[in-house]
Amino acid sequence: MSESNPNNAEIYKQVTSVVSKVLRIAEDSIKPESNYISDLGADSLDRITLVMALEDAFKHQIPDEDLAQLTTVGSTVAYIEAKLAAKNQPGS
Amino acid sequence: MSRRVVITGLGAFTAIGTCVEEFWRGCLEARSVVAEIPPKWSDFHRYNSRVWSPLPPLAPSSDLVNDIERTKLDAVAVLAMETAAEALRNAGVRFSLVDVKRNSYALAGVDADRTGVFVGTGVGGISSLLSNAAYHMLSPQQPRLQQIAKSLASSESHLEALQTAERIAADILIPFRPNPFVVSMIMPNAVSSNVAIKFGIHGPVQTNCSACSAGTVAIGQAFLALRSGNIDMAIAGGVEHLNDDYGMLFRGFDAARTLVVQGKEPLRNDQLNRPFDRDRSGFLFSQGGCGIMVLEELEHARARKADVICELAAYAETCDGFNIMMIEPNGRQIERMLTSLLQSAGCAAQDVDYVNAHGTGTQLNDATEAEVIERVFGQKVLVNSTKSLLGHTIGASGALGAIVAALSIRDGTTHVCKNLDHPIRDLNFVRSSIRQPIRTAVAQSFAFGGHNAALLMRAAA
Repeated sequence: MSESNPNNAEIYKQVTSVVSKVLRIAEDSIKPESNYISDLGADSLDRITLVMALEDAFKHQIPDEDLAQLTTVGSTVAYIEAKLAAKNQPGS
Repeated sequence: MSRRVVITGLGAFTAIGTCVEEFWRGCLEARSVVAEIPPKWSDFHRYNSRVWSPLPPLAPSSDLVNDIERTKLDAVAVLAMETAAEALRNAGVRFSLVDVKRNSYALAGVDADRTGVFVGTGVGGISSLLSNAAYHMLSPQQPRLQQIAKSLASSESHLEALQTAERIAADILIPFRPNPFVVSMIMPNAVSSNVAIKFGIHGPVQTNCSACSAGTVAIGQAFLALRSGNIDMAIAGGVEHLNDDYGMLFRGFDAARTLVVQGKEPLRNDQLNRPFDRDRSGFLFSQGGCGIMVLEELEHARARKADVICELAAYAETCDGFNIMMIEPNGRQIERMLTSLLQSAGCAAQDVDYVNAHGTGTQLNDATEAEVIERVFGQKVLVNSTKSLLGHTIGASGALGAIVAALSIRDGTTHVCKNLDHPIRDLNFVRSSIRQPIRTAVAQSFAFGGHNAALLMRAAA
């Protein structure tokens, strides 16, 4: 992740806030490399809840087949950044 | 001597007040909310009735039920939990957070193993069923129609088809996404089990689905469990919350000709709902509401120095066993229920000061109910219908009526039977909210399915 990209930083901040609310953990305990299951203690229902909360936060639907890509906070940020960029491309 | 049951806390959420005291003030001021039905509903059907009673919006989040939890709950369950919390607070029962991740609480100084939850509802999480069904059925159709419109746009001769296709696409309301928690949102027992989960309750947790009597039956079943000694405390009541983008539920009641309509003499919208009046035409469709009580065994309440609002002294229920949507016109099973209620309470009919009637405003209900009230109690007993203020809140209505009865005993006054210009029977209908002794009250409900249920409350000795 590039911290120099303000869009990326903003997405990271929003993802961290959502993860904190869903898993009820402090934001400062969440790192880009944090794995939802092994590091943050999420179970399968937490992951579904997290996807719903991310969809609400970014107003973007995440298809079931993409769930496997969202294993860590960093991978989630990268995924959302790519999807939002594609959405904002002219003609899309 | 058998165990006695008392009411120690109340909670309410209604169109006229979002807490129990505001609801009660609204009752005494004869407040109502009557509005034109949402314009969108008329895109699908021409209804006979044109009005309803919407609820104020629920808060998007609270400490008790946060926004993340709400994405997984139907509003009916949120409403039950929030109203239960109000009832517990008013009963002086403190609760504190015990599991941060689950956002679940525990009741202080109460044995959770001997506490139960009994909540009635007509259709539980029906709104989630509708919204998810709409997604399931319509989400593939909308892009197809949009594609047709796009193709037709290239040819002027297809202008009409283009407009039709665009209209169809615009008419389809689809939620943002299907909800993966839909099963646990729509099951009716979610209203009770979410209250139990929220407050860490481990005794019997039941949901009563007896339509418009559900709230009364739920309180009655809690009463029986308390009196039998199975439990010492119960959270009991009724809830309904109907969100319906397409107006399908309203259409169902409308098609059955149960809803208020204009008659020969034009009436203002706020005059259409008129239980027990000669010019009644049906009931006012309400979006719902919630009424919850904390019930306790008397010694349990005394031990924790709780303020007692009144005693719940008896419960009785019968079934018409007659028709799924029509009350038995002779009212025989209602009369049998009331006789049994009085006997169980050891109370004479003339000792009852006030009847909170089912009073829907439909032709047959009011005629039968008024006749039975006169047969059992005579013409002196005070009578009103809380539905004359709220319209019909379905599964919440019995509990809200019972709350009104309890508060009427507490304050020695009750609300008017609104819009009653020409009573259908010479009964002592409440015409003004004056102070008067109300020591014993009956609250009764009837329902589609033939369920009759009644509670008898009296001032605590």
